[in-house]
Amino acid sequence: CLFPVLIDQLNTHWPMKVKLLLRNPQDYLRETADDIHKLARNPAPELHPMSAETEYVRALNAAKLERMFAKPFLGCFGDQGDQLSRVCMHPRALSLCLSGCVDGRVAFWNIPRRSRVLQLDAHSGCVQGLCWHPEQDLFYSCCDTDRTLKAWRVGDDLTEFSRPVSQRHLDFAPLNLDHHVSKDLFALSGDAVYLYDSRRSDPVGQWKWGSDSVLQARFNPTEWHLLAAVTKDNALLLIDTRQREPLRRIRCEFRQNALCWNPQEPFVLATASDDYNLYSWDARRLASPACVYRGHTNAAMDVDFAPTGRELVSASYDCTVRLWESGRSQSRDVYHTKRMYRVFAARYSLDARFIVTASADFNLRLWKARASEKLGALTPRERAAVNTAEALKQKYAHHPQVRRIVQHRHLPKRLYQAQLEMKAIRGKQRRKEVNRREHRGEDKEPFVPERDRHVRGVDE
Amino acid sequence: TTMDVAAEDSDQMPSGFHAKAAAKAARLRREAAKLASASALESPGGIESRPGEWAPTQSKLLRRVAVAARPGHFELSLQYGPYSVAYDTTGRLLALCGRGGHVAAFEWRQKRLMFESQVNEPCHALTWVGAGSTPQLAVAHSNWTYIYDAQGLELHCLKRLHKANKLFWLPRHWLLAACTDTGHLHWQDVSTGQTVASYCGHHGPLRVSALHPDSGCVLTGQPNGQLCIWTPLEKRPVVKMLCCPAGVRAVATAPAGHAVYTLGGDSRLRVWDIRCLRPLSVSDSGADAASIRLFDAAPQLAVSQRGLLACPVRQGAALMVLPAGGAKPLLSHPSPGRLSDLAFCPWEDVLAFGHARGLGSVLVPGSGEPNPDGAVHPLSGKRQRREAEVRGLLDKLPPETIAPPAVGGGVNAVDAEGIEEALARKRAAVMALPSDEVRQFQPRRRSGKASGELNRKVGERWQRRRMELRQLLKSKKRVLAEMGDEGADAAGGRKTKKAKKVSQSGELTKPATGTFLDRLIPKAD
Repeated sequence: CLFPVLIDQLNTHWPMKVKLLLRNPQDYLRETADDIHKLARNPAPELHPMSAETEYVRALNAAKLERMFAKPFLGCFGDQGDQLSRVCMHPRALSLCLSGCVDGRVAFWNIPRRSRVLQLDAHSGCVQGLCWHPEQDLFYSCCDTDRTLKAWRVGDDLTEFSRPVSQRHLDFAPLNLDHHVSKDLFALSGDAVYLYDSRRSDPVGQWKWGSDSVLQARFNPTEWHLLAAVTKDNALLLIDTRQREPLRRIRCEFRQNALCWNPQEPFVLATASDDYNLYSWDARRLASPACVYRGHTNAAMDVDFAPTGRELVSASYDCTVRLWESGRSQSRDVYHTKRMYRVFAARYSLDARFIVTASADFNLRLWKARASEKLGALTPRERAAVNTAEALKQKYAHHPQVRRIVQHRHLPKRLYQAQLEMKAIRGKQRRKEVNRREHRGEDKEPFVPERDRHVRGVDE
Repeated sequence: TTMDVAAEDSDQMPSGFHAKAAAKAARLRREAAKLASASALESPGGIESRPGEWAPTQSKLLRRVAVAARPGHFELSLQYGPYSVAYDTTGRLLALCGRGGHVAAFEWRQKRLMFESQVNEPCHALTWVGAGSTPQLAVAHSNWTYIYDAQGLELHCLKRLHKANKLFWLPRHWLLAACTDTGHLHWQDVSTGQTVASYCGHHGPLRVSALHPDSGCVLTGQPNGQLCIWTPLEKRPVVKMLCCPAGVRAVATAPAGHAVYTLGGDSRLRVWDIRCLRPLSVSDSGADAASIRLFDAAPQLAVSQRGLLACPVRQGAALMVLPAGGAKPLLSHPSPGRLSDLAFCPWEDVLAFGHARGLGSVLVPGSGEPNPDGAVHPLSGKRQRREAEVRGLLDKLPPETIAPPAVGGGVNAVDAEGIEEALARKRAAVMALPSDEVRQFQPRRRSGKASGELNRKVGERWQRRRMELRQLLKSKKRVLAEMGDEGADAAGGRKTKKAKKVSQSGELTKPATGTFLDRLIPKAD
């Protein structure tokens, strides 16, 4: 038949073009066993259905894993034998810190090893103040019982500790001590705020407002003439060393036990209050605190900013340590142990990764600032995974299941009950206010925001 | 595509902001597609033929392709009844089961047999479960469903999956779904062994079913022409859609995307968009492209990754492959026996078909997706597959995420209703009228010394308060009236009298006196 010939001729003159999908294995397999495996990539969304749901599941898993790996407690520094009153971190060395004890001993610690390098019988009474010289290897301690201020030199040969370099007798009982960031000045707080120059025996300046003693005075790390002080009569003072009288006095409802300037933002300071709150203040506008940090169930004894200026740590009489993000009134984390009793001091390490706490159970403890952080070198893949997990948790932070896991912290029964009690008290106060407002009227019972409830007045 | 057009249709956008956002999203999609295609390793297959030329035969194709493509074309003559075939998700393994009890699995490229056994029971359906590193095969016998491992050992007997006629594997959820002759639907978690859902659908025996892989829903075709969409959390079909005037004879979905193909009793093939439950045009040509007539089509359909459709014709004596959006066959192939099952190989240009006398495999240029993502492709190594299995288990989605796209929701969906409710509640709280209890409160009378004076004072105070509340009530009612129906709704459904007409100049008659509601009174401009 003619047709097969014709068809054959058609095929040769006009061949049909056929392309079949054929993969070369060399493009998909690694060349040697030392290579990494090749991974095919096609970002087309048709090949990635339910990507939002997958991402959500990964965020949930990231939240769960974070909680599983959250083991912040690193260890105890060893029994000191008596209550610890002060902790002071070295200004330049990452691994060194000082602790002051109620019986007058000062100990010098190596943080990573959690071992005591040296112990001094510094005073006969409670060590009320400890601070380092910012540049020299020198630290100061003061005591209210023997009214002395002693300077100790640190050297490579540790025998240099046995006697203080200098000793100064004071005519008042010092309650705290702080050194200037760069100048040779330090501030002692007792019945007033005294500014001392290390080369002069008499105080260079003295500030006081009212008749009650000053509990703590701190230099601003950036504004060199600015000091803040907290007094026993529930006041916060702002002092300019160039002036004779303090600048401002903020009268609070309760006593502020400790204060700390933000190392990164020169006008921000934080105080720990007896009314279970921490307050952060903007020095430019002192009429009300910038933020009220609520969470503790007993008096907050100490507060410290992280070197980044973005986080706070607080030590409390309720045997917990709380970590906060600057500006957020709910705590990010809470640390507690069965053996840790009233916590009187908490300090961040210089790299903002560790926290050292001193508590009434005679122990210094070392904690991680980020509870689920891996200590040690991270490979690039690990770091990428950690960053991805963090980003996912932030992206889905508002989803109820993710939020529930991220926010939850286990508390022992007494702390949990205390928290519920605080909540009930607060709820009752709010309900009462709402009822009063409804019955008495908006003008007689105006709505007062949280921030404005805690300051009695500002005096100039 | 038609769906992108719908998204960019600015008439449907509530506002200019939405239109801009949609346009930006479309532009980003286009750029991503361009980037993907620029960096793509492979290009898809295809046939370029002269107009009027007949569809090529396999021998013609084999003459024009490389020798490496030959493993894709083979025929197996087997004796144990009509065969069903299934590829695994990587496209490396092919399994078959026959009504005569023959169950086998092999790597079709190397023709390496994994296992072969005679189970002495009719086997109706099968699917690969698990990830590529530990492949397992689920086979629906006449009574129960069995799971076999790669060596053919029976691992599990699932008695709940009774008289299953179709098995589906949901890889992202690690679920084995089954439709049964008794009208039941089952979803079984293969990783934990938990039965996620198992219920009777009360829609008769579910003989025509398909899985929508993108959402995980099971689609069934009913004899009354309805297409039902089932999810594990609802015991009734979530969506019921009338898709043909006669009964639905076959349903198929593409491995990715939103197209659902139905073959009705009127021999017409229709394509639907599952996201909006509307028809898509079947062929590019012509206005009346809603359906194409498939003459003598037997009720099996298979769709490839690139949208090619395979169906048996001439009562199962041959198979035909239609291009995406076309009615003219791309190729056809005669079948030695009556066709019983069709399956496109993922990631390859290959189609396997089972028939009464065995099974075969043909080359279909342009059916496979050329560029895979990740380790789920035929050339991935053992370690990569293991890694991918672990990641797949970690990313296992909960069954709550199985929902048809038409119904909406999803993890990132804005809870518009919830937001509206919250806003309405806030508005109602502001606009709430003083409660009757407060207005009718009577202070208790005290007794005892100096109580007379106290009672008088308290009484006076309350009298003043009642006057204030009355004023407040009046001013609120006036504001509600001015706001009209919107205000009435905001106050929790309390209807006010007809709103007073605002004067021509636009000024209000009596401004409120010093209450906080002043800010809600519309300002006269």
